[in-house]
Amino acid sequence: MSRGVLRWLIPLAVLPVLALLAYGFWIDPRGEVRSPQIGKPAAPFALTTFGGTPLSLEALRGRVVVVNFWASWCVPACYEEAPVLEQAWRDYKERGVTLVGINIQDKDEAARKFMSQFQFSFPNAMDTSGKVAVDYGVYGVPETFFIDKKGRIRERKVGAVSDETIRGHVERLLAEPS
Amino acid sequence: MAGGAVILAVLVYLVYAGVSQSVVYFVTPAELLAAPAPGKTYRLGGMVQPGSLTWDPRSLDLRFILSDGKATVPVRHKGTAPDLFAEGRGAVVEGAWSGEGYFKATTILAKHSEEYKAPHDTAEPGYKELLKTLRGSEAKP
Amino acid sequence: MIIGAPEIGYALTVVGLFLALWGGAAAVTGARSGRLAFVASAERAAVAVWALVTACMLLLIHAFLTFDFSIRYVAANTNRGTPFYYRITALWGALEGSIILWAWMLGLFTFIVVLRYRRRQPELYPWVLSVMLGVLAFFLLVMAVPAPPFERLTPVPADGRGLNPLLEDSGMITHPVALYLGFTGFTVPFAFALAALAVGRTGEEWITITRRWTIIAWYFLSLGLLIGGWWSYHVLGWGGYWAWDPVENAAFMPWLTGTAFLHSVMIQERRRMLKLWNLTLIILTFGLTLFGTFLTRSGIIGSVHAFTQGSIGVFFLSFLAVVLLGSFSLLAWRVDRLKGQGELDSIVSRESVFLLNNVFLVAASFTVFFGTIFPLLTEAARGTKVSVGAPFFNLVNIPLFLSLLFLMGVGPLIAWRRASAESLRRNFLKPVLAGLVAAAVLRALGVANMLVLTCMALVVFVTGTMVLDFWRAVRARRRTGHGWAAATGGLLVRQNRRYGGFVVHLGIMVVALGVAGSQAWSHSTEATLAKGESVELAGYRVRFDGLAASEESNHFKVTGTFSVAHGTRPVDVLQPAKKFYPREQTPIAYVDYRLGLIEDVYLVLGDFARDGTQATVKVQVNRMVSWLWLGGLVLTLGAALAVLPDSRRPA
Repeated sequence: MSRGVLRWLIPLAVLPVLALLAYGFWIDPRGEVRSPQIGKPAAPFALTTFGGTPLSLEALRGRVVVVNFWASWCVPACYEEAPVLEQAWRDYKERGVTLVGINIQDKDEAARKFMSQFQFSFPNAMDTSGKVAVDYGVYGVPETFFIDKKGRIRERKVGAVSDETIRGHVERLLAEPS
Repeated sequence: MAGGAVILAVLVYLVYAGVSQSVVYFVTPAELLAAPAPGKTYRLGGMVQPGSLTWDPRSLDLRFILSDGKATVPVRHKGTAPDLFAEGRGAVVEGAWSGEGYFKATTILAKHSEEYKAPHDTAEPGYKELLKTLRGSEAKP
Repeated sequence: MIIGAPEIGYALTVVGLFLALWGGAAAVTGARSGRLAFVASAERAAVAVWALVTACMLLLIHAFLTFDFSIRYVAANTNRGTPFYYRITALWGALEGSIILWAWMLGLFTFIVVLRYRRRQPELYPWVLSVMLGVLAFFLLVMAVPAPPFERLTPVPADGRGLNPLLEDSGMITHPVALYLGFTGFTVPFAFALAALAVGRTGEEWITITRRWTIIAWYFLSLGLLIGGWWSYHVLGWGGYWAWDPVENAAFMPWLTGTAFLHSVMIQERRRMLKLWNLTLIILTFGLTLFGTFLTRSGIIGSVHAFTQGSIGVFFLSFLAVVLLGSFSLLAWRVDRLKGQGELDSIVSRESVFLLNNVFLVAASFTVFFGTIFPLLTEAARGTKVSVGAPFFNLVNIPLFLSLLFLMGVGPLIAWRRASAESLRRNFLKPVLAGLVAAAVLRALGVANMLVLTCMALVVFVTGTMVLDFWRAVRARRRTGHGWAAATGGLLVRQNRRYGGFVVHLGIMVVALGVAGSQAWSHSTEATLAKGESVELAGYRVRFDGLAASEESNHFKVTGTFSVAHGTRPVDVLQPAKKFYPREQTPIAYVDYRLGLIEDVYLVLGDFARDGTQATVKVQVNRMVSWLWLGGLVLTLGAALAVLPDSRRPA
């Protein structure tokens, strides 16, 4: 490998490898298992909110429903998504979207404190029997389900949900016919 | 330099042979059932169908059904499942189609996630109860 | 705006980042213009940066110790039940903290470089400083942008999440530290290599200066890998220590090229050959340390260790690109000065053996690299998802490693330039015979596994060469009137590099034997036992005696008691358990084991009946695994011997 242009082959040789690695960002590598619930009707629930009013999925048919499972002890993920959820609620509640928070495996006092800290104004209820969590196959917090106007589960997000994710899914489901 | 070429050739051959022999394809239940080839090693990923899990402690027979929403595959495994395995959750198993209507899993792969917290499973008894039931069953010295 | 620990820490990081950038630029300016004031300024910046990173670290440790959950990292990795010592080591329990650790070590090494080389290497020094500060700036950038350890959590939660229970272990306290000492240690030879290229002094100088750095970095990397294996073995419950998982491979690749580098520089020092090769190797090794972190934290390769995806992958890949393109361009620019002054006289020579050693090691590294990114390749090319498992890595690497074992015996003894038939006979006849005899004896004793047989025979051969060489040298010194102790001791001290190398090779062989024996001769079984029932394996009888439940500071534990007997003789009582952490997805298995030189008995508690009447237990009798850890000890002794200061040569 001597003078002239040939020598520059040395640095250029690394480019293909770098390109391949960069490609890695565009694909989802984990072979994530698509939840088989996607496309199936969401399990109905009938709970009582922390404010004492009834909350049922049936009554929300025709609206886009975002169901978020959370707990006060879920640190730091629930803390990070809480302001995002509240903001999304305020922006979309007049547009045919209902955000529902379901509190699981928690104490009433701690849950209320969490809700007041983040100034939750959307309906929240405690899943006292644990049945709703089991029906939705929830095995951790936080988890968020996006339900379309026909009552079918369309997306499931495990882990803290970001602003883009909520808005992206909600806008898409809003655009669909009832 | 001829020696170098020989070594290179041997190496390339080994790498090629090795990869073709040991590459394991990842399939979903639907993909597997489309063309189940007995004996070929696959990694099968799906959701463990709730209610399908049976475990016989005596024979160490673990059976469950993996589903991807479109198709289901019965799976059998000898031995306890790893800690992260449960009904209603995703799982990836490695093994081969038995040719007898089920997937024989040699390994169940568990995945640890950093991000995300689980409440203790409502199906398991609470810890206090476990303390009670196990008291009196301790080993006598 | 609140000013608390998070804000202070973040401010310190940003100041450090700018100082590092300034220092790097100043050092280069000083180097090119010859104006020492710039170099002096860069020096001060370097010291200041290290002080700032140390302050960040102390701030974070203080936050851990005082349960300051206003810092997200603290809340995510500890809770009020986390034991005291784990609260400190939680510092490197997750990404953000491990970046601080890396940055701190880099800062420390930069500080040492400042102290040690400012007077001794005035020409190279500014460039070295510049490279080190450049790398340090990158890590500070990572601390400031994609992985900030000082993010504030609002409102402040009452309790944190807790450390990943798998990390509450002695192995995980030490493994990252050792590994990172190895990774960052290689930055110094890399910096000197670039300095040598920049200045045009591409002789042996930069190698001689950094020899100890290379050995020490290599040692810590080896130690880190072994501790990782130990952690995997005694915590994860599968009874193995290495799975060719992408995370493991990521640390193994720089070790392979680092080992190649360690050896090939000896050729350059002696025969002035392989200049281009050595520079390439150290650039690759350093690049691989970055690549390793990129691979494990970017999420592009699926692994059992599912780390979070974030923008950190982009940062690391970009920096890797800059490093590789920049370094290789520098190399290409200076390629004329890299013509070797020696030539390969004969295939039968030490140069040739070292060259082969390098070829095999780099081939192994390439194999591991290829196998690790192959899933990415197939997806890019064909869109299918595949995984490459242990069979591939074993198939290609085992012949390479066995060949390397053989070369370990030949290399140190074979003559330079051209080995005569006479010298070959003198040095190798007896050891070869010993190896063959050993093979025959072992075969007769019942060792049927070909790989183990080959491995053991090779070990005998290599040990034979070492003993022969050492014995002859001792005898020679005795003839000049020394006593036994003086002869051996003096020899070890005076030729510490050579004999340190021998001891290191001995350590590698002990590890190799452990690997071979454990792969060939280990057994496992699983059984469900009622109280009082036993299961037998490999001469051991394991009896289930009962279950007990207890509450610990941050978890709840169910422990099974099992009596282990060998034949009729009771050996031990083992208590594997399942630990239930309230905030974790599932119970964590706690393995109990009895270690032995020849074999370990290893128990994992599986399922159990709620009333304690029966339990499922996985029993393993693993042979010779302890040899891996012993090998690590021997490695330590060898490395220590090799880096002893040379008493005769001027400093």
